[in-house]
Amino acid sequence: MSGFNNHVDNSVWGRAVLMAGAILTIGIVAFAALGLGVGSVKHDTYDDAKSVYYDAMDDPTVSEEELAHLHHEEIDAHLSYLTYWVAGLTILIISVIYAIFLGIGGFINSIQPQDDHGHDDGHDDHHDEHHGSASPIIFCIGVLLFLMGFPDFVEALRALMSQGGTFVFGDLVLSTIGLAIIMVGVANWWREDLPFIGHGEQIATSAPFEGEHIRKAGIWVFIMSEVMVFATFFSSYLRIRTEWCTKWAFDDGKCSVGATEGDIVLTASDYLRPDGAAGTGDFWTMLPGAVNTFALIISSYTIVLALKTAKAKDWEAPKGVLRFLLPDKKTAVRNYLIATLLLGSMFIVLKLVEWSHLVAEGFTVGTVQGSIFYVATGAHGLHVFVGLLIMLYLVFKADTVGYDEDNGQGIEYFGLYWHFVDLAWVVIFPAFYLY
Amino acid sequence: MGEHAATGLEKWLLDKTGKDIYFWNFQVLMFFTLFEVAAVFFTEIPGTSIAITRFMVWGILIVVGIIKGYGIAAYFMHLRGDPRIYTRTALFPVLFVLLMLWGIGLSNPEAITELPSWCTPDWDYATKR
Repeated sequence: MSGFNNHVDNSVWGRAVLMAGAILTIGIVAFAALGLGVGSVKHDTYDDAKSVYYDAMDDPTVSEEELAHLHHEEIDAHLSYLTYWVAGLTILIISVIYAIFLGIGGFINSIQPQDDHGHDDGHDDHHDEHHGSASPIIFCIGVLLFLMGFPDFVEALRALMSQGGTFVFGDLVLSTIGLAIIMVGVANWWREDLPFIGHGEQIATSAPFEGEHIRKAGIWVFIMSEVMVFATFFSSYLRIRTEWCTKWAFDDGKCSVGATEGDIVLTASDYLRPDGAAGTGDFWTMLPGAVNTFALIISSYTIVLALKTAKAKDWEAPKGVLRFLLPDKKTAVRNYLIATLLLGSMFIVLKLVEWSHLVAEGFTVGTVQGSIFYVATGAHGLHVFVGLLIMLYLVFKADTVGYDEDNGQGIEYFGLYWHFVDLAWVVIFPAFYLY
Repeated sequence: MGEHAATGLEKWLLDKTGKDIYFWNFQVLMFFTLFEVAAVFFTEIPGTSIAITRFMVWGILIVVGIIKGYGIAAYFMHLRGDPRIYTRTALFPVLFVLLMLWGIGLSNPEAITELPSWCTPDWDYATKR
């Protein structure tokens, strides 16, 4: 990062470890309440509904209509159980990942030797000269190793969870080394950024971004590459879809001659929309996707509010109830970021609940339409999740050093990425959920 | 998403309502999202017997998508107030997206008979030559 930095005591990093502990506790409590508490009750209900249905199947006196009704009740009970179990489990898993990310990053930095000027290079930092950073390179090497070992890593995890295959310890090594290097790179990045108070932001000196902040130009070029990634998914989907005999195509007589209703290809929206061809959709199946759409838009607004508050020179606490949540500028910025983090986390939880329902209904990744749906929406979910990991650090910085009119661009540049994720959902939601 | 002095519509909204452009943009995005979801929930326009056809849904989804995309990019990402180079950077991939869409059209089984001539290559080139 640039020069003219704050002095940050190493003890501040202990707070990251405490935050990690708090997040982990919340995750465990949520899992105990939703997954184990409500989930086990729902599982009992599901078991009862299943046994009633199976008994009815063997009973010749039960009519077809009654059997269909019991089957419907069994499916409802199963989906209800899945909702709580998957929600609880997802909250636990993302809490564990948040805690590991924040806790290890904080721990690594807390045991570093104390810096005099925010750097350990012995330079006087009270100038605007850029010192360069090895963190992005370290991070990228970690990602490279992690991805190189990822297929074996997944196989080893599957074997560990008794999902098939033979467990070989060596399969875990490459990805684990990659993850360790990623953590070192991220921790170092945080250490360089935390003392940054906004003076000496690097300015581009040549066209086409002359006079602009290099970090801002960089994030826009990165977003440009991300547009290409999502355009690839989207165009693949459109191309494949033109050959499917969907319900809409069938009704319009666009399917091949002689096609019957049995030839109709069921897309994700057929399972989710109230009048979808799978016949499983209603208000409740559409709800998670719709709520997620609103959640992303609201989270886009809360991060704008975090930046606006940080940049405000004459910020005043609001009146009424909001005063308790936003008592002063530093707390307000932090709480807006926490709100963004919570909304993004809710997005991930609802997405996995929705996926579990779709898989239970028979819409699996084993089909072409399932594959393109899960890959595209999964890639988007991964982007949201990576954003949430970055946001953990923003919350930490807002809680310790704080953001103000000088260093608020940290929120701004992350916000550009977050808005892009929202923008991608603007395309994905109608294309995959509504069409 | 940067710091720029409010001008034009932004200033007018701020003066008239006391709320900034981010607030109003958020309201517009929420409204159109509601509209988008409702278009799929209903099979008829509420209060009428007019069916919501496939093409109406397409129209609504595309128009609403454009409005929402503009609201997020122009105001939340602040492309409207930033130097034009950022807009050009953001739009650069559109060239490739259009090429991909063109490719989708050409590789469609109905490309030869169904697509309008202006978006297909000169299929008869070899025989006319």
